[in-house]
Amino acid sequence: MDQRLFINLSPGNTYLDKLTGKTKVRLFFAFIILLIATWDMRIIFPTLLVSVFGLYSLKSKLKSVRAITVFVILTNLFNLFLIWVINPDYGATICGGSTVLFQITSFYVVTGETIWYFLVRFCKMMATFVAAMTFIQCITPSELAAGLYANKIPYKVCMIVSIAFRYIPDIMRDFTNIKISMQARGMELDSKRTTLWQRLKQNVLILVPLIITSFDRVGNIANAMDLRGFGKNKTRTYYSEHEDGKGDGQMKILYTALYLFIIVVIVLRIVKPGEFLVWYPFQN
Amino acid sequence: MENKKKSIGALLLGKWDTKTIVGIAIGAALFGVLMDFGGIKVTTNTSLTSAYVVLPIVGALFGPLPAALTGLLGNTIADLIGGWGFWFDWSFGNAVAGFFIGLLPIYGAKIGEGVFNVKHAIIYAIVTVLGVGIGFGLVTPLLTVLFYSSELTVTWIQAEAAIISDASVAVVVGIPVLFALARRNARKTNLSKED
Amino acid sequence: MKKPVIELKDFSFRYKSQKEFTLHDINLTIYSGEKVLILGPSGSGKSTLGSCINGLIPFSYDGEMSGSCKVSGIETREANIFTISNHVGTVLQDSDAQFVGLSVGEDIAFSLENDAVSRPEMLKKVDAVAKIVGMDAFLDALPYSLSGGQKQKVALAGIMHNDVETLLFDEPLAALDPAMGMAAIDLIDQVHKQHNKTVLIIEHRFEDVLYRHVDRIILMNDGRIQLDTTPDELLRSDILKRNGIREPLYISALKNAGIRFGENEHLDSIDELDFDQYRDAVTRAFQNVALSQPKPKGEKIIEVSHVSFGYGHERLALNDVSFDISRGEKISIIGKNGAGKSTAAKLICGIIRPQKGEVRINGKDYKALSIREIGRMVGYVMQNPNQMLVKDIIKDEVGLAMALNGFDEAVIKERTEKVLRMCGLYSMRNWPVGVLSYGQKKRITIASILVLQPDVIILDEPTAGQDYKRYTEIMHFIDQLNREYNITIVFITHDMHLAIEYTDRSIVFADGECIADDAVFKVLSNDEIISRANLKQTSLVTLAHRCGIDPEHYIHYFIDSERGE
Repeated sequence: MDQRLFINLSPGNTYLDKLTGKTKVRLFFAFIILLIATWDMRIIFPTLLVSVFGLYSLKSKLKSVRAITVFVILTNLFNLFLIWVINPDYGATICGGSTVLFQITSFYVVTGETIWYFLVRFCKMMATFVAAMTFIQCITPSELAAGLYANKIPYKVCMIVSIAFRYIPDIMRDFTNIKISMQARGMELDSKRTTLWQRLKQNVLILVPLIITSFDRVGNIANAMDLRGFGKNKTRTYYSEHEDGKGDGQMKILYTALYLFIIVVIVLRIVKPGEFLVWYPFQN
Repeated sequence: MENKKKSIGALLLGKWDTKTIVGIAIGAALFGVLMDFGGIKVTTNTSLTSAYVVLPIVGALFGPLPAALTGLLGNTIADLIGGWGFWFDWSFGNAVAGFFIGLLPIYGAKIGEGVFNVKHAIIYAIVTVLGVGIGFGLVTPLLTVLFYSSELTVTWIQAEAAIISDASVAVVVGIPVLFALARRNARKTNLSKED
Repeated sequence: MKKPVIELKDFSFRYKSQKEFTLHDINLTIYSGEKVLILGPSGSGKSTLGSCINGLIPFSYDGEMSGSCKVSGIETREANIFTISNHVGTVLQDSDAQFVGLSVGEDIAFSLENDAVSRPEMLKKVDAVAKIVGMDAFLDALPYSLSGGQKQKVALAGIMHNDVETLLFDEPLAALDPAMGMAAIDLIDQVHKQHNKTVLIIEHRFEDVLYRHVDRIILMNDGRIQLDTTPDELLRSDILKRNGIREPLYISALKNAGIRFGENEHLDSIDELDFDQYRDAVTRAFQNVALSQPKPKGEKIIEVSHVSFGYGHERLALNDVSFDISRGEKISIIGKNGAGKSTAAKLICGIIRPQKGEVRINGKDYKALSIREIGRMVGYVMQNPNQMLVKDIIKDEVGLAMALNGFDEAVIKERTEKVLRMCGLYSMRNWPVGVLSYGQKKRITIASILVLQPDVIILDEPTAGQDYKRYTEIMHFIDQLNREYNITIVFITHDMHLAIEYTDRSIVFADGECIADDAVFKVLSNDEIISRANLKQTSLVTLAHRCGIDPEHYIHYFIDSERGE
């Protein structure tokens, strides 16, 4: 299997791996929605810890997880820096108040509120990332399709997801082959020796055959599906969706609690909105 | 009049048979692969993605709604297989952009039957810039600010970068690809051999 | 009286997008329990006939229909495809497109999923059909790790749930190597006998299907049924060649020896032929002929010495491989899928580089050369021409490689025209690529490689999926390039006919090793090599054995006489 892909094609055997697609999807969305709904560090930080623990528990052998994590951390830090460059006192609008810690120029100041906001935002983004990474690493595309279906997504849409994943390796193989054959015919792929305009033009040469060969498949795949009764009934079952195990029962308690908690958080934000978005512990 | 309205409605909706399902799936897979591995280098740290070229193709073959779904799922798949996480604010932006980019059958461009001319190309360019503009300039920033409370200016800078790079690939690379594909599908009957 | 399962009466069909009818006045009845081969060249309408029987027409393809087509008593135009698929199960030609599940079990379960069968019941049913095809140990396997033969078994299992009456196989041999093809024909035969199914096989590879008994043959061409007869009757006649179908080699060989077959002889299996009556004629024809001498070799162009290569931690894809290629040669690199033949081709093109050993091109180690530089000396023609064609006008496609290599307009024009003339494409130079047939597209991809004037061109399965007529057309063209312009040709193939007819030397791979490198007739008469490489014994060897002559000499003679024609 291609090592560049993060998705897992065969089910693993850790606690999270063994859950059903339905449970995995519900858990994942509970985390994502909770992280979107709240700006409270008292919720975000534990969520981040749980997500990191979840990812760790998968014992992923993929070396690239580390590389991508570093990359995402750097991108997020850069984004925060960008915000600071444009509005150093951004924390004031979010947390209320501005406690200047030190001053660089009259405009560029570092305030406690801005740092706190950055910290919260960083944890929030990282928790979202880690939760997504855990989700991707523990779910197979078939379980994803089955899990979405179990959560009331129409099965035709679920089928799009599983067919797409099924043919990604084939398309990647075609892509590599086409690129190599164009290279052998004389295309220079080294970006140091070509101009941007040349690279754009070369891309047309690779895309045309890639698009043609990719979409050539559509008719045959659709026929194979029609002949085996796809779309016959209003409902469908899934081979990959095994019966609930012990873990599913336990996780059901967790995600039910999480969804209830999310409702409480949202209701509170509507009924009793705080003056500022982010809870700031060091307020005087 | 009634009749015409209906047919445009039908074109917008597309025909949701198995072929369309598979077409969207292949489009989304291709979108994902190109997004993650089909970058066109601009400088050492930035690159353009050729993924947007997939959307007009799906649009031309199956209609704008399938193209929108291709953008939505394609971007989600790219994030998943690339390990970037799950950023639905961008996926929805892609869906809106995909809808506009995929409007080809509405203004009469039929790539599958070899119909694509300069007039179509101009409409395509305008609609694409508009669609990408609305998608990444309105929908995505709105969702980002709403759900992640990002700083508006920074969100805007990122949105603008995405609009410029994605729209330019969709136009600069997309139009030649559309012309090439249309010509490949054209059925010319009166061909004669020359000496 | 047997029960008719499929009945077509005065049936005609025209695709909506086409002017002409594809099927004309088809009258055909197939009875329960029969095993029927629908034989015909590409474009004969045989696949369209299959689509009419399994309901894809009119469900997925619009068109105009007349007459009647009944399947298990149901008029297909009045039923939907789901009803028909309860009676007819179809295994399509493209085993990759057909494999929609992400694992073997899931793909076998696909129709059960669509029927919303509960999971416990589904598991039982999947297991039962997986056992029939021998895939029960692979239920968790991913499609990417399976061979073409295994994918086909999965496809067969996936249509056996509903106890369908009829099984329809659309070109089951197209993507399989020879040994897998035999296994597939065996499996079809076993299912036919043990499960009492009506079996329809759509194919153009006649000899390979005849490996197991067939009751009846429907020969199609030009959208009509040309003949509806027994295999023996068909083999006795000379109608096959006229309809673009290759005769089994042993039949051609016997006919060439001047033998005329009697009325009641069983010809469909070489094992049942009574060779006592042929032995003299065969030996006589063979004895008086002087065998050809090997051509003198030109200078060495490519030298591969002691190369090893492996992907990641898996076993070596190439293990201490050595061979060379000299100017003007015609070579076949053969072996089953995964044996290392494609890896060897990638190695020569510099796409992968030796981890041990070295490759020399024109006497120089190619270490310092890029793929692009090697491409000027070694041209590689991909299997699927659609993966290579990028331009819309023929002459632009042919000239592209030169433009990419930065040649002057004038030189490009001159050389493109020369190549277009060589390839018989000059009169079509301004045509759009989209209107061309598969064979013409193949020709253009070859021209687009030739334009760089490489020393060697490597062709990956140049005839895959092509019927005899197109196959001959493509191969004659390549052969002509070799003869007239002394271009060195390397084929990567598992087609034994191709190796026999169009190459002088074979390099055989098995499990990453080069197990033979010798004249074609020597390789193909060596039983040990044949079985290690998953190849198929040609019927010529059996014929030679049965006539008491040396197979090596006999194949040599046969090749000479075929090329002499």
